Amino acid sequence: MAHSIGNGFPPGVFSQLTRRQLVQNGVLGAGALAVGSLALPRAARALDEINFWATGTLDIGDDGWRTFAYDSGVKVEFTDNGNDPGPVVAKLAAGNANDIYDVAGLQGGSEKELARRGLIAPWDISQIQNYASVWQWAKDIPYLTHDGKAYGIPTVINADSIIAIRDKAGSVDSYGAIFDPKLKGKTAMEDAWINSVIFTAIYLKNSENAKIAEPGNLTADELGLVMEFLIKHKRDRQFRTFWNGWEQGLQLLANQEVWVMTGWEPIVYAARMRGVDCYYAVPREGYEGWANNTILLKSAVVRGRTKAAHQLVNALFSGFYGCKLGLLRGYVVPTDNNVAYATAHANAFDPAGVRKLADHVKQKFAGKIYWQNTRPDNFQLYETWWQRLRNA
Amino acid sequence: MVAEIEERVVPHEPGLRESVDARWPAGFLLALPSLAVFVGVGFIPLALIATWSFWSFDPDTYWIKPAWSFASYAALFENGRATVFLRTAGLAALTATASTLLAVPAAGLIGLLSGPRRAALLLALFTIPFFTSGLVRAFAWRLVLGRQGIINNALMSLGIVVTPVEWLLFSDFAVLLGMVAAYLPFAIVPIVLAFARIEHSVIRASQDLGAGFWTVFATIVLPLVLPGIVAGFLFVFVVAVGTSMEIQLLGGAGASSISIMINDVLRVVNFPLAFAIATVVITLLTVLIIIANRALRLSRLFESLGI
Amino acid sequence: MSFDAIVRGRTSGGRLLFTTITALSLAIMYAPVLYLLLASLNPDAQLGLVPPSRYSLKWYFALLDDGRLAGALKESALVGLATAALATPIGLSAALAYRAMTRLRGVFLLVILSAMFVPGTIEGLGLSATLRVVGLAPSWVTIAIGHLLWTLPFAAVVSLIGLSAVRPSTIAAARDLGAGPIRAFVDITLPLMRTNLISSFVFAFLLSLNEQARAYYLAGRQNTLPLYMFGAMNSGASPTIYAFSGTIIVVSVAVVALVFAGLVEQQSRRPRQAPGKTSY
Repeated sequence: MAHSIGNGFPPGVFSQLTRRQLVQNGVLGAGALAVGSLALPRAARALDEINFWATGTLDIGDDGWRTFAYDSGVKVEFTDNGNDPGPVVAKLAAGNANDIYDVAGLQGGSEKELARRGLIAPWDISQIQNYASVWQWAKDIPYLTHDGKAYGIPTVINADSIIAIRDKAGSVDSYGAIFDPKLKGKTAMEDAWINSVIFTAIYLKNSENAKIAEPGNLTADELGLVMEFLIKHKRDRQFRTFWNGWEQGLQLLANQEVWVMTGWEPIVYAARMRGVDCYYAVPREGYEGWANNTILLKSAVVRGRTKAAHQLVNALFSGFYGCKLGLLRGYVVPTDNNVAYATAHANAFDPAGVRKLADHVKQKFAGKIYWQNTRPDNFQLYETWWQRLRNA
Repeated sequence: MVAEIEERVVPHEPGLRESVDARWPAGFLLALPSLAVFVGVGFIPLALIATWSFWSFDPDTYWIKPAWSFASYAALFENGRATVFLRTAGLAALTATASTLLAVPAAGLIGLLSGPRRAALLLALFTIPFFTSGLVRAFAWRLVLGRQGIINNALMSLGIVVTPVEWLLFSDFAVLLGMVAAYLPFAIVPIVLAFARIEHSVIRASQDLGAGFWTVFATIVLPLVLPGIVAGFLFVFVVAVGTSMEIQLLGGAGASSISIMINDVLRVVNFPLAFAIATVVITLLTVLIIIANRALRLSRLFESLGI
Repeated sequence: MSFDAIVRGRTSGGRLLFTTITALSLAIMYAPVLYLLLASLNPDAQLGLVPPSRYSLKWYFALLDDGRLAGALKESALVGLATAALATPIGLSAALAYRAMTRLRGVFLLVILSAMFVPGTIEGLGLSATLRVVGLAPSWVTIAIGHLLWTLPFAAVVSLIGLSAVRPSTIAAARDLGAGPIRAFVDITLPLMRTNLISSFVFAFLLSLNEQARAYYLAGRQNTLPLYMFGAMNSGASPTIYAFSGTIIVVSVAVVALVFAGLVEQQSRRPRQAPGKTSY
């Protein structure tokens, strides 16, 4: 079927599925489960409601959540939080997010401070049976825990590098392409130090032998080194622009404003669908790993929704969500249950495609990986340096 | 000129004050609703924010602790933060100027040279784009100005250039263009509304006295619609100072503005600094208005005309 | 609108110049808008232009199914109407207060205008913290409160302009004829301000419709339209958002055209009035 996860990878966010295909996915999936289940008919069961506040990329659409509710007994009210961890944390810390939402998802790194301020509650892993199926190295991400308790559940995971247009940039295997003078004015980076600084640090460490210990957690001196490098290239007009958010990044590629840029993998799929022959480089310096983690807001506990929240997270790993998200976006939920689900529901999802996507991500993580961290030790210094870069 | 004559001959403001009970001056009563909004919705949160701007960041809780200090204000002078203020204000002033320069003739066409139907149509045309999302409109400029955009395609197919013009996009030009395109109605509407201040008889009288179009425009029309022009400039300036969309979408690598800087700072939960930035912005703009008022006698503009 | 073509006769190229600049301004404003309209007819998942032979209404039909967008639109309409409905009369009262005051009027106006200078993000954050303490749950009400503060100065200034066009002699004449201050206001001033008040309402509505920074922190679970657009652009927009812009344009232009045609019809049916108003 046109939407299968095959060689061309998923259609990206435009979800070229027709209504009919979506319904097929949903109903057939649910129907197959209902046939095999011994429980009461789903319709008779009262649904628990959870307000899920996360990046739009985690959304599987109203149809998807309907099937999800049918399978898991949890009705998810999804709201897009805009993807930027800054306003999300601010709204949690100083605003009213705790009054409105039960569960949130954001890029990892802030769990510690949110926990310390009592804004989020720890997860009880024993209530999440599917947690055992989560890939070990995902569970091992350092900032998920605080004081020995699990605050973040890694829900979506990927390893990022750079996107290159084949007939313009040729064969790219190093982050150096972004800084290559031959590509002056034809490159871009993301307008976020969270990603761009770590990419530059990875490059400098591995290809220019800079004295950098952990690219994800730079000391003040290391940070100065990396930022001076970026400032120099900005002054040399190396970058066409910086991009903010999916649509901007995709547009840069689709209209060939830039030929090489740091970016998210699903942008490659979407750009290909728009006829741009681009690919995701396999850089010899290694990848940047990131996880979008689900956190439990304190007020959900107060409101008595803990059980439903745990059910939600458990259901995120039970297979349907992973298959659906992989189909819609090309993002991976770090569990093998996706393949199992696709195999059991081969009329809705393509098991070979799901397995291929999972293997692809696993393979990336088997190599050199440096974890993204929204809260390095010197995080406020990062922002200060980024201001200097802006004003350079 | 007309205004000066009026000032000497006509007493100001025979308003409502005379006939209302002196214990409750009309002005005070009328001011209550807006003051209530300002105090309740504006002042209290702002007082909170100003207070917090003098507290310090607490690295243990990633929040603020009541340790009074000027550190956040001192930080405003480092790392080029002060330049952001200047550049944002400069860009806003430029946008406001450009918008006003375009708005005056447009408003002139609408208010002076058009019948009621055409005036309404033109005004509607200027307002309609504002019903669509500003973000999407700004984004669309990338496709008009880009290397494969409409303008470059046209230029190349006409043979005017061989390679795409790079500075059309991700440049100050693009930002200015995007902002003027977005905020022009803010300048036009007040000026058009100010045309209600003009009496036909005054125009006709001056024409009878032999004044040509440009004389009429310069000596009668412009001074009378000046409140609208000033209001239009103010509106565009204020909105341009606070926006970040056009700069982010159309500016070069990492282009900055006050809003962008505030978001950057909030992203690292440096709340005292973010609040300090906001406090300084409000203070500086207020001072700017006070100076402008003194220098240009702005408050006189909104008084009534004539007898 | 009650503009008459005031200046008749020769304009020494003034009409030409003004028309050219107006056309230029409209061209600048409509360039992205028209682009969006044409690009929304592109059935591919690509924001770009295609030859007319490939035009399709695919994304417009997809709009009908987009429940999230509909919800955001409803929320924005609610917030906008509430904001405009409050900002217009309160703005008028502020303008009246300004003109009734003498010595304190400068300070008063400054206080009202200062609400414009507050960066949206900070105001949203501060206000949401304050409203939490008060116990008001975030919803369209809280967004409207934030937007009221934002639009009030604009409405006040617009009202000031309108009031400055009302001649004191007109009011004095009414008072001479025995009307009290309230009566004079309601029967004389308000009708003269009609256009101005409508503009104030529409202005406030549009300001609220496009405001995103405050809304982010004040919103409840239902996003407003700008927040929805912001999220869509950040995490992957379906081309329905471009079809949505296209719909707005087409509908607005259609409404304007209908009203215009209605006015034209009206004019042609009424007997022509003698040219030139009589006025003093």
